Amino acid sequence: MLARIAQELFWLGRDLTRAEYTARMVDGVYHAHLQERSDDPGAVLLSWDALVAIVGADPTRPGHEDVVRMLTVDAGSPGSVVSCIRRGRERARTLRGVISSEMWEAVNTVHLDLGESDVRAALDIGPYGLFHYVKERSALFWGIVERTMLRDEAHCFLQAGGRIEAADMVLRVLRVALPPEADEAEARRDGERERAGSLDGEADALLHTLGGFQAYRRVSLEAPDAAPVARFLLFEPGYPGSVAFSIEALERALHDADADSRTSRPGLRLGRLMAELASRRHGAPLEGDVVSALSAVQEQLALVDREIDARYFAGAEGATLAPQP
Amino acid sequence: MLNRPYAPAAGYLDELFQSPGVPRPHAAPLVDGLRKLGREGMVAAGQRRDRIFMRQGITFEVTGGEDGYTQDRPFPLDLVPRILSAGDWDPIKRGVAQRIRALNAFIDDVYHDRLIVREGVVPWALIVSRSGFARPAHRIRPPAGVYCHVAGCDLVRDADGRWKVLEDNVRTPSGISYVLENRVAMTRLVPELFSGFRVRPVDHYPELLHDALRAVAPAGAGDPTVVVWTPGPANSAYFEHAFLARQMGVELVEASDLVVRDSVCYIRTTLGLARVDTLYRRLDDDFIDPLEFRADSLLGVPGLMRAYRAGNVAIANAIGTGVADDKAIYHYVPEMIRFYLEEEPILDNVTTYLMADPEQRAAAMERLDELVVKPTGESGGKGVFIGPAANRRELRRQRELVEADPARWIAQEVVRLSTVPTADGDGVLAPRHVDLRPFAVSGERVRVIPGGLTRVALEQGSLIVNSSRGGGSKDTWVLDDDEARVEGSTPRALPPPVLPDVRFGGWRDQAQQQQQDPG
Repeated sequence: MLARIAQELFWLGRDLTRAEYTARMVDGVYHAHLQERSDDPGAVLLSWDALVAIVGADPTRPGHEDVVRMLTVDAGSPGSVVSCIRRGRERARTLRGVISSEMWEAVNTVHLDLGESDVRAALDIGPYGLFHYVKERSALFWGIVERTMLRDEAHCFLQAGGRIEAADMVLRVLRVALPPEADEAEARRDGERERAGSLDGEADALLHTLGGFQAYRRVSLEAPDAAPVARFLLFEPGYPGSVAFSIEALERALHDADADSRTSRPGLRLGRLMAELASRRHGAPLEGDVVSALSAVQEQLALVDREIDARYFAGAEGATLAPQP
Repeated sequence: MLNRPYAPAAGYLDELFQSPGVPRPHAAPLVDGLRKLGREGMVAAGQRRDRIFMRQGITFEVTGGEDGYTQDRPFPLDLVPRILSAGDWDPIKRGVAQRIRALNAFIDDVYHDRLIVREGVVPWALIVSRSGFARPAHRIRPPAGVYCHVAGCDLVRDADGRWKVLEDNVRTPSGISYVLENRVAMTRLVPELFSGFRVRPVDHYPELLHDALRAVAPAGAGDPTVVVWTPGPANSAYFEHAFLARQMGVELVEASDLVVRDSVCYIRTTLGLARVDTLYRRLDDDFIDPLEFRADSLLGVPGLMRAYRAGNVAIANAIGTGVADDKAIYHYVPEMIRFYLEEEPILDNVTTYLMADPEQRAAAMERLDELVVKPTGESGGKGVFIGPAANRRELRRQRELVEADPARWIAQEVVRLSTVPTADGDGVLAPRHVDLRPFAVSGERVRVIPGGLTRVALEQGSLIVNSSRGGGSKDTWVLDDDEARVEGSTPRALPPPVLPDVRFGGWRDQAQQQQQDPG
């Protein structure tokens, strides 16, 4: 397929996933902050400042209304939900030959709805409805993909974009939200947590934010503290929102898209990354090096992103002829 | 609607009503259907139409929004269809096919033997001075000798009921996607209007086009690769480019996707370069290859003309067809039909005066306030001057423009465009002027799609139908028979096969049985 089209599909997947995760994060922080913070020093840091750090915005301490606007309705901010949706919609418009018309209508409808309804007013009244709408529409889009899109190269690149973005967003959230490892280890040793007798309320909020609370409860007997929650979100192979799950799906998508996947550099790198995650899951409990492990995985994903770009989207600048089918 | 009798405009032909409140016989079931639909029904259907068009992205006129992003409006489809009887349609079909054959022969002649010039029918000086004349196309004969793969003629119907050709479009005529989408929308929005009619379908156009494009691919391409080449999403006809690519199941490419190596044209894919055999291009000659045409074109592919000349890639429409859709050349089309085909023209031209001719110019200047003046090398209604609607200052200015560069202009008699009832925002019908653009596809032979795009001027009394200038469109029905059919006259379908093993509700019975029957 056309290199340009493949790239647009990849970024369509990224834009829509970014919109969904942004809505989830703002929703999570917003509702966590209607209540008091836990005074546990080992608690997860789910705050407005943390949110600014997660999206990599300018950390000039804005008030929380400003953060909400910047991440949701501000059309001038590239990371806002409406900007992501609009970019996705512009891409979908150029992709109408390869995506199903129902997919196009799903994206176009969100764009039109967000443009028509007074989203700013909706935010002031209660943002829950808005976040819920974005999450629901995102689920609708991916559901329509499941049901109507041909399983071809185009599908692979769309999936790849969605999965790499999902993995990246979860990693970002964890990197910012997890407490510095020293405190964590100390807290554990001193058994302070037990004495304080508090469940980690904000790790709980983290799970709710990413939509994995029930799944966590079903696989883990441990209380939802920072460390087991982080392990779950990183390694759990059965949970579709975990980093390991996303990376595996990403690897499979690239494998299916590539006629000669044995020579694929991003594919090989993902294979190594999957093996590493699996061995860590079964290996030592995640202590001491959580944050560094997270950033190492994220670095690997950044390299994968660059290698995908070079292998599939460069548009044959190097100019080999395609092998005859 | 229709609670007041509909009154056709005096002095014009109304295609649906023969006199106030009295429909033409073949249109009677439609008028009946409209009456049943009522004003409210019409308004409600119109709102449904706008919502569906916006959601599906059937829009036009992409203008810069307040923040620089594109803003689309739903394509204005009027829900009252236009009906052409089989008798109306037959001469149009034959006449359009005849014109396209003659124009194709003319283009071949211009770039090869120039017989028509040597015989003194068309002056060479006029041909070479046309903006659509392409020197680089000299002595290139495309596969099967087809130049105008896709063509559209703009027709109008005069007060006496005769069809006349207003202009020929053999560069990149657009509008076919709206013909297909209009039909789909009509069957969904107002299915009741179809009852009592047998309307010829139009949805086979993409197949015809695909076949034609494959048929003209260079010899030796086993299973030819066809692509649609668009200038990009900013182009006003982008919707149509994407539509055709989607309907034919081929790639929609932009210039950055195309590359020429060693006189062979390729597209850049995720697997490297892949060869292209036929380019269905939707941009003008001037932009396609910066090495041979406009050097500042960012939309073009360097070296493409080399590949074309070497016969390694087919381009549709062929390079240089623009010379035949010039409005000064249009004047000679009836002569061409006689010259190349030795036939009499089936469709007439509108009486046209060449401003380059001193005598014709002098006569036209005398009565400029009764004529329409058009620039020769433009399309889309750009620069058109309508004498009867102009004030004294505009008349003087137009006279100066023509005198300054006479070869750039033609003058035509005003045609009294026919009208069709059209619904306004409140569902009330009023007569509005229409034209018709039938589409023809030339591969091994010329095929004309039944009907075509009917464009309608939405302002009262306006004769400008271009969608870029506030025009709308109508679904155009070509009837299978002159008489409106009554129910039951359609051919009987075969009875469906009987499935004795399938019982009504049988699925539930089976489930119950399984429950009762352990093991």
